[in-house]
Amino acid sequence: MLQTENVCFTIIAIGYFALTILNFAFVAMKKEGLAKTAFWLQAGIFILHTAALVLRGIGAGHWPMTNQYEFSTSFAWALCLVSLIFIRKYHFPVLGAFSSPLILLMIGYAALQNREVRELMPSLRSSWLAFHVSTAIIAYGAFGVAFVLSLIILFRGKMKEDGFWGKHIPQPEKLDQISYRSVCLGMLFLTLTILTGAIWAEQAWGSYWSWDPKETWSLVTWIIYAVYLHLRLRRGWRGKAAAWFAVVGFICVIFTYIGVNTFLPGVHSYA
Amino acid sequence: MHPRSPLHTGNTFMKKIGKFLSSMPFAIALLVLLAAACALCSTIQQGLGYDAYAAQYGERTAGLILALRLDDAFHSWWFIALSGFLCLNLICCNLLRLPALLQRIRAFRSPEKTAAGKTDAAAKGTGDPGKIFSALRLPKPTEKNQGACLFAASNLPGFWGAWICHLGILLLILGFALGQICMKQYTVYALPGQTKEMEDSGLCVTVDDFRVERTEQGTVRQYTAALTVSDPKTGTQQSTQASVNAPANVYGYKFFQNSIGWGADVKVLKNGEELQKEALCAGEFFAVKDKPELVIYFPAFYPDADSREQGMSDSTEPVNPGYLYQVYYQGQILGMNVLRAGEELTIDEYTVLFENPRHYTLIVAKQDRFTILVLLGGLILLAGLVLAFWMVPRKVWAIRENERWLIYGRCLKNGALFRETFEKAAKESGFEPCLPEEDNRKEENM
Repeated sequence: MLQTENVCFTIIAIGYFALTILNFAFVAMKKEGLAKTAFWLQAGIFILHTAALVLRGIGAGHWPMTNQYEFSTSFAWALCLVSLIFIRKYHFPVLGAFSSPLILLMIGYAALQNREVRELMPSLRSSWLAFHVSTAIIAYGAFGVAFVLSLIILFRGKMKEDGFWGKHIPQPEKLDQISYRSVCLGMLFLTLTILTGAIWAEQAWGSYWSWDPKETWSLVTWIIYAVYLHLRLRRGWRGKAAAWFAVVGFICVIFTYIGVNTFLPGVHSYA
Repeated sequence: MHPRSPLHTGNTFMKKIGKFLSSMPFAIALLVLLAAACALCSTIQQGLGYDAYAAQYGERTAGLILALRLDDAFHSWWFIALSGFLCLNLICCNLLRLPALLQRIRAFRSPEKTAAGKTDAAAKGTGDPGKIFSALRLPKPTEKNQGACLFAASNLPGFWGAWICHLGILLLILGFALGQICMKQYTVYALPGQTKEMEDSGLCVTVDDFRVERTEQGTVRQYTAALTVSDPKTGTQQSTQASVNAPANVYGYKFFQNSIGWGADVKVLKNGEELQKEALCAGEFFAVKDKPELVIYFPAFYPDADSREQGMSDSTEPVNPGYLYQVYYQGQILGMNVLRAGEELTIDEYTVLFENPRHYTLIVAKQDRFTILVLLGGLILLAGLVLAFWMVPRKVWAIRENERWLIYGRCLKNGALFRETFEKAAKESGFEPCLPEEDNRKEENM
């Protein structure tokens, strides 16, 4: 089972690389057909990625979200899912050109991690694991897409004004609202992550909040996005100003995920 | 007229204070400060002393850390003050917003006041306007002016989203703060068979049994402690079981299987005769029965003392047990060393033996009646977020002018996205989308 998952992972990594190239070709050559091919390729890789995660879960005997490798491949999966939904929902193929390098980076990070399956420690043997970590990957995926959209908002002015960009990149107001929708999705799921984590911590350790670095940085991330949501209500803070906050928010997400494990060990050190 | 609220009724100074405390810039400043404080303090290890900080950061920084209470930042006066101001901001904001919010809702769902407000999308044509209402999943429109005006609004609970979020956050902070103040928490560690008092709670905990379940690979699957909790005052007792992720709940306390450690039996012989036998957890000590100035301290146990000596990681099973001891006489240390299994320590006529190494369990007993308030706050916050993000208030109104219908749409947020949906619905219903400003007579006709 795990060997098959290994093979699937290699195919997925190659697939995301091909997807990135295809998306770049779409932007460089400005051919509509390439965008459609890229979308369906992304959908195909997503299905294979889902299958690989299921195989990993069956092979490991637990939800495949308990170590750095499993979480990073799940993170890439969530990025792929949320970007597919947003491309489809908002008829926005250029989003794929910006999100696929991020997915590729995350899958590259996963490839560098130890893929060994380890037995779970007693505190991780809980049904809350599935809720807590799956809500976290959806939140991170949504914030990742918001980050990509914010980059588009920030660099939109630098793009050559021609028919292609005009057709494929929405007007600033709409772009800002799509980014806002993505942050909303992330915010809801991050809140769920923090709440399910607190309930689980209460059961496992008897303390729902203990200012562990991971908890603290999740709160910092939550606050940054809360500031983003409030700033958007103020005149003159939509568009680029809000986009900067979404970028800072995603830097916090990455620090919460990778930086905290590397520099600030705590009870989440296994993650 | 501006709606009156409790904070609008005082004198000018109070009004200014109320306005400042409830203002969004104040909220944003507090949030940014809290985020920065959390981020900074997460990088400083909490609860260390001056020496540890001085070794890590230098003397001057260590002094600064202690002066600013950064060693216990999340309980420091300034962090509590920031959280307190945030609560005050949330309370003022919700109180101040309430009358205005009610007025906004009334205005939004009032056909009469609608036309004067902002419009996000418009369409015109001679088709059936009902089709647009149903395409946008709006309720059946109400008719005015003998059917010349149609009006429908939906997702009105969305107006309450932010207000409910604030209420949820307030309950969360309040529940957490009250929990921190009123919570009773005790730590009990004991070897199987031992009974320990839970300090001032009046309860006693007996560890009847402690099991470590292992997987086929030898890793730990579960720690389970069989406990008997007794109340000597009432003479009652209850037996229960606590394991990781499954706390026991008796006498109003939750008992958590928190961690484990090593313990052993320590025998004292006097001239070859057994004088005393104590079950000690690592970290405990006892005085010799007939010579109380002689104290035996058991700081640590090494399951594999050989590996440890060679600098390798210790075993999880007692394969080559080593017992670290310290002997004190009248408060002065006499000596310390590691005793291997079967080795004896002789002090004058006394012989000390360590044997039967086994795990002790560390149980945390906790009573926090405000956890439920935190949970309630969390659920309210979630409900508020769903309302705020996914129940965006919107309305559509149509005005008949001769044979032609002018249809307008308004969405509280996401105007650009709503415009697209509206225009798509309009086209599908046989209407022609137009600019909202195209017909400025809408106000007169409504």
